[in-house]
Amino acid sequence: MLSPGQRMLRALVAWMVVGIFFFPIYYWFTIAFRIDKEIFEIPPLLLDFTFSWQSFEEVFGITIGAKGGLEVVPGGGNYYMVPRLVDSIIVAVGSTALAVTVATLASYALSRMRIPGQHHFVFWILSTRMMPPVAVAIPMFFIYKNFGLLDSHLGIIIVHALMNLPLAVLLLKSFFDDIPQEIDEAALIDGASRFLIFRKIVMPMAIGGIAATAVLCFIFSWTEFLFVLTLTQTSLKTVPVVSTTFVTSTGTAWGKMAALGVTAMIPAFIFILLVQKNLVRGLTLGSLKQ
Amino acid sequence: MKFNHNNRKRYLASVTDRYVKGQMDRRTFLRSAGKLGLGAGVLGLSATMPFGGRGGFINSAQALEIQPDADMMAWLKDAAKPFAGQTIKLATESTPPSNAINSALKPFFEEATGIKVEIEVLPLEQVLQKLTLDVASGLGTYDLYYIDQSWMASFSGDVIDPREKYEANSDLAMPNYNMDDFLPALVDGISMYDGIMVGVPYDIPIFITMYRKDIYDELGLKVPTTMEEYMANAVAIQEAKAPEIYGTTGQMKSGHYSLECDWTCWLWAHGGSIFGPDGKFTGNDDAGMAAMEYWIKLKENMPEGVTTWTWDGQGQSVLQGIAGQALSWGEFFPWWDGPDDSKVSGLMEAAVPPAPAAPLRTTDQTGYGEIPGVGHQGGSSLAVSKYSKHQDAAWLFAQWATSFDTQVYITALGGGTGPTRESVYDDPRIKANAKPGIPGTTRHLDVVRETIASHMGSEPDLPEWAELSNDTIPVELGRFWAGEYDSPKAAMDSIAKKVDGILKG
Amino acid sequence: MTDVPTSVKPPLQRRFISDSAFPWLFPLLALLLVFAVYPFFYNIYLSVHEFVPRRRALEFVGSANWVKLFSDSRMWGALAVTLIYTGVCLLIQLVLGMLIALLLDSDDPGFGFLRGLLTLTLVIPPAVTAMIFLLLEDANFGVMTYYLQALGLLGSNPILANPSTALMGVMIADIWQWTPFMVLIFLAGLRALPPEPFESAVIDGASNWQVFRRLTLPMMSKVIAIAVLIRGIDLFRTFDYVYVMTSGGPGTATYTLSLYAWQQTFSFIKWGYGATLSLFSLIVILVIAHIYVGLTKLKW
Repeated sequence: MLSPGQRMLRALVAWMVVGIFFFPIYYWFTIAFRIDKEIFEIPPLLLDFTFSWQSFEEVFGITIGAKGGLEVVPGGGNYYMVPRLVDSIIVAVGSTALAVTVATLASYALSRMRIPGQHHFVFWILSTRMMPPVAVAIPMFFIYKNFGLLDSHLGIIIVHALMNLPLAVLLLKSFFDDIPQEIDEAALIDGASRFLIFRKIVMPMAIGGIAATAVLCFIFSWTEFLFVLTLTQTSLKTVPVVSTTFVTSTGTAWGKMAALGVTAMIPAFIFILLVQKNLVRGLTLGSLKQ
Repeated sequence: MKFNHNNRKRYLASVTDRYVKGQMDRRTFLRSAGKLGLGAGVLGLSATMPFGGRGGFINSAQALEIQPDADMMAWLKDAAKPFAGQTIKLATESTPPSNAINSALKPFFEEATGIKVEIEVLPLEQVLQKLTLDVASGLGTYDLYYIDQSWMASFSGDVIDPREKYEANSDLAMPNYNMDDFLPALVDGISMYDGIMVGVPYDIPIFITMYRKDIYDELGLKVPTTMEEYMANAVAIQEAKAPEIYGTTGQMKSGHYSLECDWTCWLWAHGGSIFGPDGKFTGNDDAGMAAMEYWIKLKENMPEGVTTWTWDGQGQSVLQGIAGQALSWGEFFPWWDGPDDSKVSGLMEAAVPPAPAAPLRTTDQTGYGEIPGVGHQGGSSLAVSKYSKHQDAAWLFAQWATSFDTQVYITALGGGTGPTRESVYDDPRIKANAKPGIPGTTRHLDVVRETIASHMGSEPDLPEWAELSNDTIPVELGRFWAGEYDSPKAAMDSIAKKVDGILKG
Repeated sequence: MTDVPTSVKPPLQRRFISDSAFPWLFPLLALLLVFAVYPFFYNIYLSVHEFVPRRRALEFVGSANWVKLFSDSRMWGALAVTLIYTGVCLLIQLVLGMLIALLLDSDDPGFGFLRGLLTLTLVIPPAVTAMIFLLLEDANFGVMTYYLQALGLLGSNPILANPSTALMGVMIADIWQWTPFMVLIFLAGLRALPPEPFESAVIDGASNWQVFRRLTLPMMSKVIAIAVLIRGIDLFRTFDYVYVMTSGGPGTATYTLSLYAWQQTFSFIKWGYGATLSLFSLIVILVIAHIYVGLTKLKW
C-alpha cells in the first residue's frame, strides 16, 4: 500500500518516536555506568562520560576484572542487592502463577456457564481494583499479622495476585469469549468432562491470552511499591522499595540506584521476551467478537 | 582498581561470609580479619568493600581496627544469656550511624549476645509510616524505634523511659554506660518530652555554617559572625560568580519537612518563635516578618532549583560546587569532603552559626518547649517499644549502640553526624580523622560540638507537631514561594490561622 | 462435575445447567472474600471512628468524618487535581497510544525490535521512574531542563516548583511510562483484525482516514473501551509520581486524593479520616466507571 518513500518515512518516524521514549532509559543507563563525580555534569554527558563498573560492583558485590572476568564477592550490608533481586523474582513469578491460575479457572466459568447477575459480578471483581492501595494496606497488615503472613514471600505473593486478579479475569474472559462455544459443546456431547475440555482444548487455544495476561501481572507485581513497603520488614524487599534505600540523609546514591534499576529491567524483560511470541496475539481482548 | 586490593577484599568477604553463616567463631574471624587490618584501614583505602560501600555510607580516614571494648562485650555476653536466640527489629532512617551499625558493627553485638538484630533502612518519611502502623496497632512488630525529634511527642506514650529501665533492673544496666555523658543540651532537645525520657540520644545532625574557603579567600570574605555578614557574603559570591556558583543554597521543597527546617532557622535568628507562651502561632509577628524579609533576599542568591530540593538536593548543590556557602546540616560535611564524588573535596570549612540578628527568645517566651537557636537540630533517639516482646534484648542493643565504645566506631567509620556523647569528641581515634579532603573526615566536629552547646535550636514538642511540621507549614510556605500569596504577611497570617485551627481540634 | 454420559438422551441443556460454575469460581471468591471484602468493611468501620492518639485507640465518631469530608476544601482541591490528572493523562495516552500503535503496526524489518524496546518503560517501577524524572526535570542539574532551555522552550523557573507547570511535569512521567501500555494493547488489537474488510475498502478507493474512521475504530472499540477503563482506574489512584516528585506541591498544586489519604493515614495517624477519603475516592471512581460501562455498552 505504501510507496518505498513512504515506508522509509514511516521507519524514520518510528525510530524517532521510540528513540524519544527510550531516551530516559538510556540516560538511566549512563548514570549507572558513570563515575559518581560526573553524574550531575551540565552540559549533560550523554556520550563521553567516564565508563565505570563501580556502581554495579558495589550493589552486587562483584568485581569486574581488567580482563573482563567476573568475580563474585559475597557479603552483607545495606547495599548488597542480590538477595533483593531474588526476592523480586520469587514474588513476581509466584504472584503471576497464582493470579493466572485462579483467574483462568474463574474466567472460563464466567465465559461458559453464565451465572445470575454476571455483568454485575464481573464489575464487582473489577471494583476491587478501584480501592486506593493505602486503604487496603492497613487491614491487610492486621490480617497478615494474625495469619503470620507479615514479612513473608507468601504474603506478598498473595497480595500481588489479589491486586492483579481483576485485570487477569477481565483479560482472560475476553479471550475465552473468542473461542467458539461450539467446540465445548461438541466435546461435551462426546462425553468429555468440563475440566478435560478446559485443560485439553480451551487452554491450549487460549495460551496466547494467558501469556499476555501473565506478562501484565508480572509487570504490575515487579513494579508495585506500597504493599511491599507496608507488609514487609526485614526478611524480604522487592526492587521498587529497596531502591528507596539509596535515598539517605546525606544524599541520594544515584549511581547505585541506577545500577540496581537497569539490572532489574533484565529479568522482567527476559520474561516479556519469553512470552512475546504469544503476546501480541493474546492481547486482543476479544476484539473479534462484537 | 588495584589487584592487591581485590584479593584482600575477596578474602575479607569470604571470611565475613563464613562468619555470618556461623561457620567460624568470632576469635578466628577477628584474627583473620585483623591480618587485613579489617575496619577503617580497608574501608578508607578501598574504593569498594563488600559490606559497606562508599559515598557517605562507610567512610573512614585512617587505619583503625575494630576492637570492641572487651569488658563491655564480656558483660553483654553475660547479661544477654537469657535472651540469646531472640530477634530484635529496628526501622531506621538511612543515616551514617545506622549504616555503620548495619554494615560493619552489628556482627560484634550479635556474636557476643546471641541476639539477632534486623535493621530495616528506609527514607525518613517511610520510617514514620512504619512506626505509625506499629504503634497504632500496638502489635510490636518492631522492638526498637528510631524517633526523630519532631515526632517525639507523638510517640512518647509508646516507649519505655530508659531511666526507668536502667534503674529497675540492674542486671541489664550496662556498667560505665554513664547517662550523664550525653551532651546535656541534647537530652533535653531530642529525648525529653513532658518529663518522659523518650529514648537515648542516637544521632544529632545540626545546622552549622559551611563555606567554600577557596571562594572566600579569592573574594576576601570573612567567616560570617552575624546574619548581616552571612547575607553580605552570599550577595558577594552571587555577584562575582553566578550563574556558575551561587551565593548560597537551600532545602525548600514545598510540602516537605526540610522547608520547615530552613524556615525555623531564619525565624529564630531574627528573634522570632513558632509559638508564643499562650500556645498560639507567632510566625506572623514582627520578628517573623523580619525573618521572611531576610529569607526572601537570601533566596535571590540561591540556585533556581532550591524550591524543588529537600536536604538531598541542597547537599548535592554544594557537592557539585555550585553554591558558595550554606547554613545547614553538619552531617553533609564529610560527604562534601569525600574525594570520590565531591567536587569540593578539601575546599569546605565549617564554623558555628552566625549570631542572631535580634536576641533569641527564651523558653518562657515560646510555647511547647520550643528552644530558639540558629543551629536548628534534627536529632533522633533510639527507643525501646512498649509493645515489644523482647524489651530486655532491645534495651541491651540500645545501650550497646549508644555506648561510648560503639559511638567511637560509628563516628570513625561513618563520620557524618556528631556523636551524642561528650567523651567521643575527645577520643584520639576521632581526632586522628580530622584531616581535610578524606572521606569520613571529623574536622567539623569541634564546630558541631560548640554549636550543640551554645547555638542549638529545638522545635516545639506537641503531638500535632508531626502534622504541622510535615504538612501545614511547609505546604503554605511552598505556596508562598510559588507566588500564590501576595505578601509574606498574607502567607504567615494564613499559616497562623491554619495552625491555630488544627490545635483547637 | 460428572463425566461419562450414562443415558442415551444427552440433555445438553441440563448438562450446562448442572455444570456448576461454583467450583471454578471458588478460588477467586475465597481470595476476594478474605482479602478484598474484609478490607472494604474494615474501611467502613474505620470511617465512623477516629484514632485517638493519646489513648492509642479508635473512638466512635459517627458521621463526623463524612461531615468533615464534604466541607474540606483541601479534599475538593485534591479531587479536582485527581480528575484533571486522570483526564489529561488518559486522553494523551489514548491518542498517543493509538498513533504510535498505528505507526508501529508494520512487518517491515526493525519494527519488532522497536515494539520490544517500547515495552521497556513498563518494567521500571513507578517510584523509580519518578526519581528519574525528578532528576531530568531538576532546574539546575536536569538534562530535560537543559535541553528545553537550550531550545528556548523553558525559562529559569523550575518545572516542578511552578504551580502552572508542576502538574504537567508529573504527568510527563506518567505519560512516558504508560503510553507504551496502551500501544501494546492497541497493537495486539490491530494485528488481530481480519484483513478482508480492509482489502475491499482499498479496492473501493477509501482514503486512509476513512478506513481508520469507518473500519479500524469500530472494530477496535471494545479493545479501546477496556484499555481506557483499566488505565483510568489506575490513573485515578495515582500515588508514586506525586509522592516522590512534588510531595503534592507547590502548595497543593499536584495534591491527589491518594496522597491525601496516605498522608492522613500514615503521617498523621488519622485512620478514620484516611479511610473516609479512600471510600469517597472509591465511590467516585465506581460511579464514573459505572456510567462509562453503560455508555460504552461493555457487557460481561
